[in-house]
Amino acid sequence: MIEQLLQERLRSGPIHLGELVVREVEPGRFLIRHWKDDESQRKLAVGIDATAALEIVRYDEQGNYRALKGAPSLSTGWELRLESVSEVRQAIDYFYPGAFSTWLAFNRGEITPVDLRQTLTRQTGMYRVTQRLTGLQAEELAGRFCQSHSGCLRTILWTIDGKAPEKYLPRSKFDPQADQVAERHQKHSEDGREEDPPARLSSPKSYHVPFLCVEACNLFVAEARKIVKVHSK
Amino acid sequence: MSYLSRENSALVLVGHGSTINPDSSLPTFVHANEIRARRIFSEVHCAFWKEEPSLREVLRMVEAQDVYIVPNFISEGYFTAKVIPRELELNGPITIKNHRTLKYCDPVGNDPRMTDLLLHRAAEVACDAPPHDTSLVIVAHGTGLNENSAVAAKRQVAAIRDRGIYPEVVAAFMEEPPEISDWANLTTQSHVVVVPFFISDGLHSYQDIPVLLGIQNENSAPASQQEVFRHNPYALRNRKLYYAGAIGTDPMMADIILDTVDRFDKQHD
Ligand code: SF4
Repeated sequence: MIEQLLQERLRSGPIHLGELVVREVEPGRFLIRHWKDDESQRKLAVGIDATAALEIVRYDEQGNYRALKGAPSLSTGWELRLESVSEVRQAIDYFYPGAFSTWLAFNRGEITPVDLRQTLTRQTGMYRVTQRLTGLQAEELAGRFCQSHSGCLRTILWTIDGKAPEKYLPRSKFDPQADQVAERHQKHSEDGREEDPPARLSSPKSYHVPFLCVEACNLFVAEARKIVKVHSK
Repeated sequence: MSYLSRENSALVLVGHGSTINPDSSLPTFVHANEIRARRIFSEVHCAFWKEEPSLREVLRMVEAQDVYIVPNFISEGYFTAKVIPRELELNGPITIKNHRTLKYCDPVGNDPRMTDLLLHRAAEVACDAPPHDTSLVIVAHGTGLNENSAVAAKRQVAAIRDRGIYPEVVAAFMEEPPEISDWANLTTQSHVVVVPFFISDGLHSYQDIPVLLGIQNENSAPASQQEVFRHNPYALRNRKLYYAGAIGTDPMMADIILDTVDRFDKQHD
């Protein structure tokens, strides 16, 4: 079912998801690239199976480990040429685990975002202390850790005590239709930061698959722990 | 060995993962790939405590109604007893939820073939060491990591002793006595083979244990990650010391994962 829906989606044109552009170049042949390389003339390293993605996602261009898959630090300079939609699905799951399935579930109305309080209350062991994180601390953390510029490209669906953590984040960070890569780009040009032109923004044919965050991730919880620990000292 | 096809079932392999060590999740991905290629299950997914996909999101990726969940952990403990059931909302070995049957299997470390794997690793790394002159040391984490790795390691030591291959088989730990740093006093034979009882070649196996053994300096560069396994044997304290990589990276692990699923079905028929 998931593969079938992915196939249908790709039949009607390229999709972009996070920093990826995925397209069916001819029936049964697929291409995945970093969006910055989408119209690139430079020579790209070619991968021919989904497992190549496992290597690409692990380090950023400076060689740092990318513990958070949603970080806007996917390296460029490669392309994956895949021969089946199941390989495409597998590759997408290596780049952005669960992103496509979550989006499908969201479309079916099956996603119930989990309030941060619930996530923190569930913690045990060394993370139990995160229950002491205040609303304000949580807002600050979301503003710092989840922002699309250098934090994470997911769109936040979860809340803090019933409200979206809007204090330090733009509205678009909570809009399931918003493309965080485009938002980030726009912000960068407003700030006068140099970057490659967002090729895909000018390509009306490509379809944006929202990259959703349904529940605060474990890295967020680990950061919450650090904050509580520092404040309790 | 051939395995029963489970074409209507999914397999979810659960690893610990790490936010600092990029190699931690690799064995879990590699075994998942191997099993996927065998086409036994309709789907094979990985999920992690510290990485993505998280335990909270993995079930959204699964389409099958019947799901085997196998913890890629060396022993029962905090993660298998508490974290995994909590995050996946399991209420026992079999949980029926949203028309789905979730089958929670034993950690891979419980498989009887783990003993073979340890022996295989020992023989492989020290192929020129005569077994009758060799002490075998199984090193585990011990207390502090919320797992019963010490109990599991001692169980393996007893099983290996029973086979009578090595005159001396001992367990040693990083954080409790007998400590691995004391290896030279714990063993008597001229050859000593040390096999870490870990799932991945993480910081413990390529950094901490080599330092405790005295085969590496405290501040060695990360580039020596792989090097440490290449310089065997080490001539140290008048012995020949061989140090093996973690067993969890062995290709045989894919079979052990499948055995774990088979065992679950036999136990819950
Ligand atoms: S909580 Fe969600 S948005 Fe924030 S860093 Fe984690 S995955 Fe990204």
